[in-house]
Amino acid sequence: MRPFRDETELTVALRELRPAPRPEFAAELDARAAAGFPRGSRRAAAVARLRERVASTPPRRLIAPAGAFAVAAVVLATAVVGITQSGDPTPPGGPKTSRLDRAQEPRLPSVAQEGSPVQEVTPSSSAAPEAGSAGTSYSGEAATGAVAQSPPLPETGPYAAQAGRREIERSATVVLGTDPAEVRADAARVFDAVHAADGIVLSSSIRDGEAGAAGADFELLIPSSKLGDALAALSAIAEVRSRQESTQDITAPTVSAAERLREARATVEGLLRQLADADTDAERAAVEARLRSERYRVAASRSRLSSLERRANFSSVSLRIQTGAATSSDEGGGGAWGVDDGVDGAGRILAVGAGVTVIGMAILAPFVLLALLAWLGRRAWLRRARRATLSRA
Amino acid sequence: MTKREAGRSKGVNQTLVAPAAETPAEAEVAFERLYRSSRDDVYAYAAGILRDTTAAEEVTATAFERAYRKRARFDPSRGEPRAWLFGIARNAALDELRRRGRQADLAREPVDPMAQAAPEAVEQSERRLALAAALDALAAGDRELIALKFFAGLDNAEIADLLEISESNAGTRLHRAMTKLREACDEAL
Repeated sequence: MRPFRDETELTVALRELRPAPRPEFAAELDARAAAGFPRGSRRAAAVARLRERVASTPPRRLIAPAGAFAVAAVVLATAVVGITQSGDPTPPGGPKTSRLDRAQEPRLPSVAQEGSPVQEVTPSSSAAPEAGSAGTSYSGEAATGAVAQSPPLPETGPYAAQAGRREIERSATVVLGTDPAEVRADAARVFDAVHAADGIVLSSSIRDGEAGAAGADFELLIPSSKLGDALAALSAIAEVRSRQESTQDITAPTVSAAERLREARATVEGLLRQLADADTDAERAAVEARLRSERYRVAASRSRLSSLERRANFSSVSLRIQTGAATSSDEGGGGAWGVDDGVDGAGRILAVGAGVTVIGMAILAPFVLLALLAWLGRRAWLRRARRATLSRA
Repeated sequence: MTKREAGRSKGVNQTLVAPAAETPAEAEVAFERLYRSSRDDVYAYAAGILRDTTAAEEVTATAFERAYRKRARFDPSRGEPRAWLFGIARNAALDELRRRGRQADLAREPVDPMAQAAPEAVEQSERRLALAAALDALAAGDRELIALKFFAGLDNAEIADLLEISESNAGTRLHRAMTKLREACDEAL
């Protein structure tokens, strides 16, 4: 048999060797192509149609729907966050109603602003707890933390649900609006109202000046039993721009501290009996050492209990007297609702929206990055695998 | 009819050079034209590289289905539709080869030249058999080049585009593959 004469002959032979599809396969493929390559089940077909629709849409046409979807998501998230944060049906222009569902940390006395005339008022007291205890009595976190770290006591439980009387710590924040000329007179009325309620002015600062600069800040302690009357009196002094009250149940740490104190006292009494019965100096010394330790425990428990009781008996009130237009921090300011309020509201919504967007992106970014890296890695691996397949086959 | 068109599917005189599909309807029409002009070529290429009729049919169907799903993403500025389609077909074929490589080595379907064309003479049939055997013995890369050139009807520029190499490199590789094929045939004959 003669070999191929030249490349042309070889080429012709190769073309004649060209495989052709079976007519049945060609007809079947034609039918599938005409039907748009349908997929198996109805559900899969629906998913496929959706995917196909997205895939068949040029990317530039997807930008508008994707942008609209993103905006809708941000608006929805903003609305949810806004509703969650406000939760107050009070219409603009009226004072806020009480918010008893959110616990608020007690505030420390405020520091007077620099650069403005400040008149410091010495704290006056009537029915006051011991001086200096106000600052420490509000370290509620530390006291609660100490209780949480101690071994569980049988009668307390995490919420002291079986306690006969609940110990509630109350606090309030009030913002009043007035004219600059009325600041001092209003401040005097604040003192009167506090004294009338047997309360304490922990700190105060009064600023003179123009509208906006003039004002006063007070940190007050009001007996909890008279908090309602005191707040009513304070609210009557001037226009209420915002008022917020909060409560915190401190029954569990109070019960726990009381039990701890009882235990420590019982231990001290036992040790005292042991001390009386001690025969040797060594025994006596050992018991005295334990006694010192237990007495320290008694003192600490008593102090903690006193502190908790003060927190329950006295409510912390932060009072601010403002001048000039209500600021966005006044939450609902007085007067008629106007364009400024609308702009403020829009700004707040935009700020919340921007925050939600940033948080959302911060959450999504690592996942998107990982997915992108995985996709790139798979793509590179696939290319290499295909090349290797060809050279191996 | 040009030499390039002669090697392509019968009954198709026009290569699809449709502009960017602006609407789904236009994309549909463009894809249909591409399908009709390339169906047999894609099959011939797949069969040439896989040497298995069933696998070639599967790869052909897969390639067209994938192309159909991605038809709106085709960007004419990045190349000819045929090169794009053959890129998809090539990936599908290589995936199939890879899959088969992972499995037990399947029995390869021998190419039966008698089934493809009526024998004119015994000698001619034997020469075809020898050519098929020589083709079968070539490395997959060389066999792919020959399949692209003589079965699918791609020219050197299209092959270069598909393999992401220069046109001169594609020509050189093709020449080497043909030389090897000819030597293998000469030895057999």
